[in-house]
Amino acid sequence: MMGTVNRSLALAENTFLDAIRNRIFLGLLVMAIAFLLFSTLLSDLAVRGEAERVVLDFGLFSMSFCGVLISIVMGVILLHKEVEKKTIYTLLSKPVSRIEVIVGKYLGMLSVLTVGMTLMVMIWVMLLASKGADVRIDHALAGFLLFFEVMIVAAIAMVFSAFSSPVLSGLFTFGIFGLGRLLYLIENMLDSSKGFFVNNPGLRGPAEVFVWICPDLSVFNVSQDLLQGIPVTGAYVGSAFGYAMATVVFLLGFASVLFLRRDFT
Amino acid sequence: MTDVAIQISDLAKTFRLGLSMKKVEAVRGISFQVNQGEVFGFLGPNGAGKTTTIKMAMGLVKPSKGSIEVLGGHIEDRKTRSRIGYLPEHPYFHDYLTPVETLNFYGKLFGLNGAERKSRIDRLLDRVGLSHARSRTLRKFSKGMLQRLGIAQALLNEPDLLVLDEPLSGLDPIGRKEIRDILVEQRSQGKTIFFSSHILSDIEVICENVAIIQNGKIRSFGRLEELLNSELSLVEVTCKGANPDVLQAFETQGYRVDRLGEYDRVIVEGQANDALSQLLNSGAEIQSVVPKRDSLEDLFVKESTRQVDEGKAA
Repeated sequence: MMGTVNRSLALAENTFLDAIRNRIFLGLLVMAIAFLLFSTLLSDLAVRGEAERVVLDFGLFSMSFCGVLISIVMGVILLHKEVEKKTIYTLLSKPVSRIEVIVGKYLGMLSVLTVGMTLMVMIWVMLLASKGADVRIDHALAGFLLFFEVMIVAAIAMVFSAFSSPVLSGLFTFGIFGLGRLLYLIENMLDSSKGFFVNNPGLRGPAEVFVWICPDLSVFNVSQDLLQGIPVTGAYVGSAFGYAMATVVFLLGFASVLFLRRDFT
Repeated sequence: MTDVAIQISDLAKTFRLGLSMKKVEAVRGISFQVNQGEVFGFLGPNGAGKTTTIKMAMGLVKPSKGSIEVLGGHIEDRKTRSRIGYLPEHPYFHDYLTPVETLNFYGKLFGLNGAERKSRIDRLLDRVGLSHARSRTLRKFSKGMLQRLGIAQALLNEPDLLVLDEPLSGLDPIGRKEIRDILVEQRSQGKTIFFSSHILSDIEVICENVAIIQNGKIRSFGRLEELLNSELSLVEVTCKGANPDVLQAFETQGYRVDRLGEYDRVIVEGQANDALSQLLNSGAEIQSVVPKRDSLEDLFVKESTRQVDEGKAA
């Protein structure tokens, strides 16, 4: 067991080094910071008293968008690069299992995302404070929720990159992310007694299956709650964490099954 | 403990390529074994199925049929893999790392502790001649330097079995000599070495047993000496002052006679006693008697030609 942990950590460390020395990651991080700083410019244009709300809302959007972008790009690139550059040959000849490779890569990616998200949340909180906002624990909790979301998105990217090309993996992951964010809308449409699924009953079945298997990412977006002053509770964050962990374990298991079946020609 | 390092039985691999899922049989039911402690050469032209076979032996590609046993176990078994050193063809590494970081990473995967990793890394970098570049990132390495690092990582776990895919490619003559010396050194330590190469002279120098694969099938397999001796032997006799009538008689008998200035060279099939007696009796002065054995290259070319002929006949 310790051997598995040590090997996964060695792989995670290697992935972390790969990512932070990658110019794409640094570029995305700079873009994220630029987005956050842009929110202060926007806040200057806002009507009096709304500056804090602009920084809060646009900041959350920027962190979510950039965090997801980093997790998709890194999630797709890091595993694919190992195969594309054929470093996987030497790696898999060592006493390391393919499951450990998936877990190690994911942990490495998570450590990169931790660095990125922590930096973004710190800048966002400082910007909020500079606008005279009352910085509360809710803001940090919102940051945690965004992190849980990027954890899931990174795991989805791992699933696709375990068998597909980077471009397709990126597109599929982004598609699942978009649908995951809008899943509550599809659920509402399915519950409705009129509308799309009543007019197209043939699509109801596939839509119900999709709603069942697609991660519901809207649970990690609390910007409306924060704007309306509704507190984000520890219990809510705890249940969101449990949901994220269960989803990640399932996705990594699926990625491992795909990776186990793969030939490295 | 088994005496067989690698046992390959009826191994086959079929790939399906493109949207049409066209079948390509890369390896077609091959069987051979590599004994422990021997140096085994795996030969074949490009596209013959060498690398696919090696990748199946290393668990990178799953066989369509047949089985592979490595060091008495299965390649998926972690204990088996911890006893193997593998060098892929044109080894690839993370180019943002230095050689020390690379070997340190692999050392961790082998479960070596910090002190052991450090001592082995220092020793291996010195052995493969990369000590001077230990802090340089790999993106600044030449092809030959990467090949040397590839050898170092294959030796990191002090393996019982070395599986090397074209270990001498990309090296200059001095580099080839150095790596060949390392392989000979490993052989003297009782390690098993299974390697493929296009450089036939190297295989001829190092290997005891060989297998020649062509078009996914094993064409020749066995002790190198026997394979070469099984081919027709020739003896080359060089002499001076031979009687022209005797030389004429040799030509009539079908021997090849070359006139090289004041010397004559007679190439005799089988044993040369009769020819030597006739030359000596005719007053010739024998300069040299050299048995001409087919080289591995001759054997390789013959096998290739045979396969082409078989293909045409079919």
